[in-house]
Amino acid sequence: MKLTADNTAVVLDSTADFPDAQTRFSNFRIVPLYVRFGDESFKDYVEITPDRFYERLQTDSELPTTSQPTPGDFLATFEELAPRYERILSLQISSTLSGTFASAQAAAELLGGDAVRVIDSRTVSASLGMLGIGVQRRLERGTTDEEIDAYVARYQRDHQLLFTVNTLEYLARGGRIGRAAAFAGNLLNVKPILTIRDGEVIPLKRVRGNAKAFAEFRALFESTSADSPNLKVGIAHAAAPERLAALRELVEHVRPRAEIEIATPLGPVVGTHAGPGTVGFFWYEDA
Amino acid sequence: MNASAGMRQRIRELVEGARASIEANRRRIDDLNVYPVPDGDTGTNLTLTVRAIDEALQQDGPDDRAGLAKEVSRAALMGARGNSGVILSQIVRGATESLAESDDLARAFRSASDAAYRAVKRPVEGTMLTAIRSMADAAEHGADLAGIIARGEDTVAQTRDMLPVLKEAGVVDAGAAGLVEIVRGIHAAISGEALAPPPEHEEAFGIEAIHQELSRYRYCTVFVVEGESLDADELEGELERLGDSLLVVGDRSALKVHVHTDDPGRALSLGIARGAIGGVEIANMHAQTQQREERLLHAVPADREACAVVAVSSGVGNRTLFESFGGVVVDGGRTMNPSTADLVAAIDGAPAEEVIVLPNNGNVILAAEQAAANAAKVARVVPTRSLQAGLAALVAFDSSRRAEDNVAAMQEASDGVATGAVTIASRDVQLNGVAVRKGKWLGLADGEPVAGGETFDEVAQAVLERLLREPRSVLTLLTGESPPVLDGLLSRIQSEHPDLELDVHQGGQPHYPLLLAAE
Repeated sequence: MKLTADNTAVVLDSTADFPDAQTRFSNFRIVPLYVRFGDESFKDYVEITPDRFYERLQTDSELPTTSQPTPGDFLATFEELAPRYERILSLQISSTLSGTFASAQAAAELLGGDAVRVIDSRTVSASLGMLGIGVQRRLERGTTDEEIDAYVARYQRDHQLLFTVNTLEYLARGGRIGRAAAFAGNLLNVKPILTIRDGEVIPLKRVRGNAKAFAEFRALFESTSADSPNLKVGIAHAAAPERLAALRELVEHVRPRAEIEIATPLGPVVGTHAGPGTVGFFWYEDA
Repeated sequence: MNASAGMRQRIRELVEGARASIEANRRRIDDLNVYPVPDGDTGTNLTLTVRAIDEALQQDGPDDRAGLAKEVSRAALMGARGNSGVILSQIVRGATESLAESDDLARAFRSASDAAYRAVKRPVEGTMLTAIRSMADAAEHGADLAGIIARGEDTVAQTRDMLPVLKEAGVVDAGAAGLVEIVRGIHAAISGEALAPPPEHEEAFGIEAIHQELSRYRYCTVFVVEGESLDADELEGELERLGDSLLVVGDRSALKVHVHTDDPGRALSLGIARGAIGGVEIANMHAQTQQREERLLHAVPADREACAVVAVSSGVGNRTLFESFGGVVVDGGRTMNPSTADLVAAIDGAPAEEVIVLPNNGNVILAAEQAAANAAKVARVVPTRSLQAGLAALVAFDSSRRAEDNVAAMQEASDGVATGAVTIASRDVQLNGVAVRKGKWLGLADGEPVAGGETFDEVAQAVLERLLREPRSVLTLLTGESPPVLDGLLSRIQSEHPDLELDVHQGGQPHYPLLLAAE
C-alpha cells in the first residue's frame, strides 16, 4: 500500500513538544498526557501552557506528577481519524520512560482492524517531534510501511541527543534517572552531560558550570556531525530561553548549513521530569 | 448491600467499596511503586481509575446487566490512569464481559486474567498480572471471595521474590497490592463488613515530618549574619529566589535567616557576601523522602558501584562536599596528615571493590601510595595537592567505571584547575624581593607565595588575578574555620568578571581563611 500525506495520519503524544504540529500538517494529531498538581489534573499544553506550568512550578508547594493518556484518549483520536485515513501511524514516547505506548496499543486493539500502527520511538521531546517530521517528509513523497520502519530504525540508531539539567533531582523523583543516578546529589554546581540510549537516561560526563557544559556540547556535536543542509537539528529548553539562544548560536556557528527544524520549550509533562534550566539538542542526517 | 434497590445502585455500592478501599491505601501503594517506573504513583493511578468508574455510575444510565457491564468497562477504559490503571481497565473489561452473561465468579476472574495478559506485550510475572491469575486459579478451585482475596494476598507477598527490582528495594509489587485492595473493597461492600484499617504506614517522627510536609525543598538552613548596615528586606529578596519558608529577622548589625532551599551553599554565600556568618545549621528535611529515594535509586540495576573514592579532607563543610559525591572522607585533622593505617582502613571499608585515593595535600601523597599498595583492594592514587584539586578530580569521577578507567579523567580535571589560598604568614617570607612579615596576609597560587599585604582584600584580589590569567569559567571559594569578610572580593568579581560562575561554600578548613579554585 502506498502511503501519502492524504491517506495517512500521524498521531504524536504531547511529549513530542511539538504543539503546532497540527497547524503545520493537517494530517497530524497530538494526544496529551496529563500533569497533576495535587488533585488538579491538566491536559499537557491543552489545559496548561509551558509558561503557566513553570510559573506554578516556582510557586506551588507540591511538585507535579504526570500520567499517560488513557486508552480512551487515544481511542477518541483514532476514531476521529479512521473514517478519513487508511493508515494511522501513532508515534509514542519511549516505552521505557512512559506507559503511553501501552495506552495507544490498548486503543488500537479496541479499534480493531489493522489501520493503526503504534510505534515505540525510543526517544522523547523534540527528538520525537523530528521523527514525526521525517515521517511526514516521506509521506509527502509517497512511501510504504516498510520504508517507514526502515527510517524509524535508522533514526533510532543514528540520531544524537545531548542535554543537561540544573539538578538531577527531577529525574530522580520521577524515577526516570536510570544510570545517571550515579551522578546525583552533589553540592557543587555540577552539570551532568546526559543522553538517552535505548530509552534510558545515560550520563556521559559531568563538568562544572554552564560554560563547560556548552564546551562539551560543542565538542560532541562537532565530532559526530558534518556540515550539510541534510543535518537536521532540534533544540529544547525548560524555562531557559537564554540557553536556547546560546545553543542556537552554537549550532549556527559550528554547522552553518544545518537546518534547525524545531526550537521549543519543554512542555509541562517533560518539564516535570527534567526540571527548569534543562537544555538539550538533537540531530541527525536526513534528506 | 441494599437488595431491593436497582441493579445500577447495587453495582455502584460495590464500586464505592472498591473506591474506599483503594483510597485508604493510596499513599501506602504509591510508596511501594518501583516497577516498571519508580515514580510513586500507582496508588494514585488506581484510585483515579476506580473513581472514574464510580463517577460514571453516579450519572443516570442503564439498569440492566449487559448495559451496566458495558458502561463500567468503558468508564474504566476512559478513565484509566497510568500503566496500572490501563491494566486494571483490562481486568475490569474481562470481568464485565463475563459478568454480562453470568454470575459465575470463577469465569469472571479467568476472563479478567486473560484480558489483562492479552493487553500486555511482554507479560512480566510478579505484577498485577500474577495477582489476577492466582486469584482466578483460586476461584476455579472453588474458593469464595474471601478465599480468593487470601490467595491474592499470598501472591502479593510472593512478588517480592519474583522481580529482582522488588527484591532489591525490599517491597512487594504496588499494582498487585492495589488490585487485592480493590477486590477486598468489593467484598466488604457485599458482605457488609467494615474494612480493616490499612496496614500501618511507616509514618514519621514528629516535628521533622511536619516540617517536611510544608516544603518542597530539601534543606532547612539557618544562620546568622553579622555586619554593618545589613538590609533585611534586600537579603530577603535575594533569598526568596532560592526557596521558601523564609524568615529574616534582626537589626542592621545582625540578621537571623531561616530558609528552606535545595541550595544551602548559595544561601550561605548570600550571607557571606554581606558579613560574617555563624550559627549555621543545615538540616535535611527529607529524611523520609530520602529513604524512599534511596530505595528507588537502588532499584536501578546495581551495575554501577564499581569504584569508590577515599579523600583526605579537613573542615566540616569540605567533608560534606566530598561526601556529597559519595566520597569516603578521612579526616586529615589540623595538619592534613592522616596515617597510612587510617587510609588503608578507609580503602578497605569503602563501598566498592576498587578505590581511588585523593590525598589532597602534597605531604600525604606518599602515605596514600603506601596505603594503596598495602590495601586488600585494588586502589589507585590520583596525586592531588590541594582540597580544590581533589574536588575538581571528584567531579570527573564515575562510580560505574573501574579505578583504572577513572584515573586519567580525574587527573586531567585536577590538572585543569588553578588553585589559590589566602592565609596568615606563620613566619617571615621572602617573595619576589618583597618581605611578608609574620602575622601579615599571605597569598599563594598553586602552592607558591604570590602576594603579601596588610589587608585580606588586597591579597585575595592579587591571588584571584593570578588565577584568572588564563580564561576561566568557574570560580570556587571555600571559606575557612575563621571565615573572612568576602564583600570586597565578591563585589569586585561581579563587576570585573561578570561571566564567571561563582560557587561559595563554607569549607571550614583550618589555617586557610580562604581557598580558591578556578577552572
